[in-house]
Amino acid sequence: MKTRILGFAALLAVAAATLYGLFGVPGDLNQGDAQRIMYPHVSSAWLAYLSFGVTALAGLGWLVRRDLRFDAVAVASAEIGVLFTALAIWGGMMWGRPVWGVFWQWDDPRLTTTALLLALYVGYLLLRRLSDDPARRATRAAVVGLVAAIDIPIVHFSVIWWRSLHQPPTFLSPDKILNPSAPLQFVLALVGMLAAFTLAWTWLLIRRYQLARAELAREEAVRSGVVRSARSVTTANGEGGVAQPNAPVEAAR
Amino acid sequence: MTALRRTATIAWAIARKDAIAEMRGKQAAVSTLTFAAVVLLLFGFALGPDPRRLADAAPGLLWLGLVFAGLLAVGRFHELETEDGALEQLTLYPVDRRSIYAGKAAIGVLAMLALGALLVPLVAILYAVDVVHALPVLALTVVLGSIGFAAVGTFYAGVTVRLRAREVMLPLLVLPIVAPLLLAAVKATTAALAGDPLGELPAWLELLAGFDVVMLIAGAGTYGFLLEE
Amino acid sequence: MSDVGYVIAGYGGIIGSLAVYAALLLRRLARARQHRSPGDDGA
Repeated sequence: MKTRILGFAALLAVAAATLYGLFGVPGDLNQGDAQRIMYPHVSSAWLAYLSFGVTALAGLGWLVRRDLRFDAVAVASAEIGVLFTALAIWGGMMWGRPVWGVFWQWDDPRLTTTALLLALYVGYLLLRRLSDDPARRATRAAVVGLVAAIDIPIVHFSVIWWRSLHQPPTFLSPDKILNPSAPLQFVLALVGMLAAFTLAWTWLLIRRYQLARAELAREEAVRSGVVRSARSVTTANGEGGVAQPNAPVEAAR
Repeated sequence: MTALRRTATIAWAIARKDAIAEMRGKQAAVSTLTFAAVVLLLFGFALGPDPRRLADAAPGLLWLGLVFAGLLAVGRFHELETEDGALEQLTLYPVDRRSIYAGKAAIGVLAMLALGALLVPLVAILYAVDVVHALPVLALTVVLGSIGFAAVGTFYAGVTVRLRAREVMLPLLVLPIVAPLLLAAVKATTAALAGDPLGELPAWLELLAGFDVVMLIAGAGTYGFLLEE
Repeated sequence: MSDVGYVIAGYGGIIGSLAVYAALLLRRLARARQHRSPGDDGA
């Protein structure tokens, strides 16, 4: 199956990029080996932003077309996005400690924006868990996802202004990594890692989407009383209780 | 009646209705104001007693107090509707959803302004900050911040109004969104109190205004979806 | 901890988490497919 091939390709690509990043590419003149963390860190961040863009667009798709498959894409992308956001923050901290001397710096726009991104989308996922009705859940998630996506550029710019007024940009800015005049090998390492991560992201998204569809189908089956399991019927968010087809809609819809 | 006038009329009616309901049950309004004052007190205990540290932190503490109390207020105005199924009634009216949003956001702004009127003097007293010389700019900052916060808060109150765990979900969703508003408002307040030595005040106020516009549009545009079904 | 430690922690954490998530995801998917009702379209 095509997805399986994609999965193996992603695995190989990530392994290759990791080996190159750790051993193949030379360290940076200023930052030494710490610079190697940039490759997975930046790649993770890029994919985190991509994920949330997909979530916002998928939410829009639901609002316009009322097809739950859009919502399945939205939740899949959001969950993966949370993962990549956490990875990006972790990478950022592991880079920051040797380079800045501290794990965290408030005026690094990328780090602070990413932290807020994490908060926003964890909130998004939590919100989803509190809704049982698929349509209502999809609508709530869609509007929240859209507003969150709109907020991100605002956050980014405000932190940049915050920093620029506080002190001039330090020469250790991660933006230097993307400088085109950087040695070819650095660029290669970054692009390679990015491509590998993107493959992995795509595979994860497909699989997570399939999971979302399967869960939707199960919810639907449970709702129409077709499926009963040995333990009490559970809805997708794990809430217990026996569902009857004619039960009145719960207060917390 | 033009569409705009109609929207405004309905928004005004809703805002008035909520205001009257709040005033009748004065309790909630007084409680929210008291809560805000208590928060500021507690900040004093947490960061004091060094007056310089408190004075330095004052702009941040002011806005944190406004935000935390503001959450209660905007949550309350939507909670009003869940009593007696009023929300269902409201959605039955053949009314542009944006009017409902506008009305609720408007009363939210009023609540924030009331909080501001209380907290600014309180900050001046508790944290030994001279606010009088910067009062006009402070007032402008509070107005701009209130609009943005009410725009976001009202929207999310609508999202969470019938949700389980509403009390925690509303803050959880709102606070990350208003981070840039908080940042800008505190920076503007700090600059205003210091006499704007770096000339950064206009930039921060513009950021606030931009935030307000974007969030009002986003809120008004999407609020309608929440009231469906 | 020397720089190398942080690099390893960085890579290990990131790649490791990806692997763990992928494995968990596959397991969740397998479970969800077991329980689905007949007549449902598959992957």
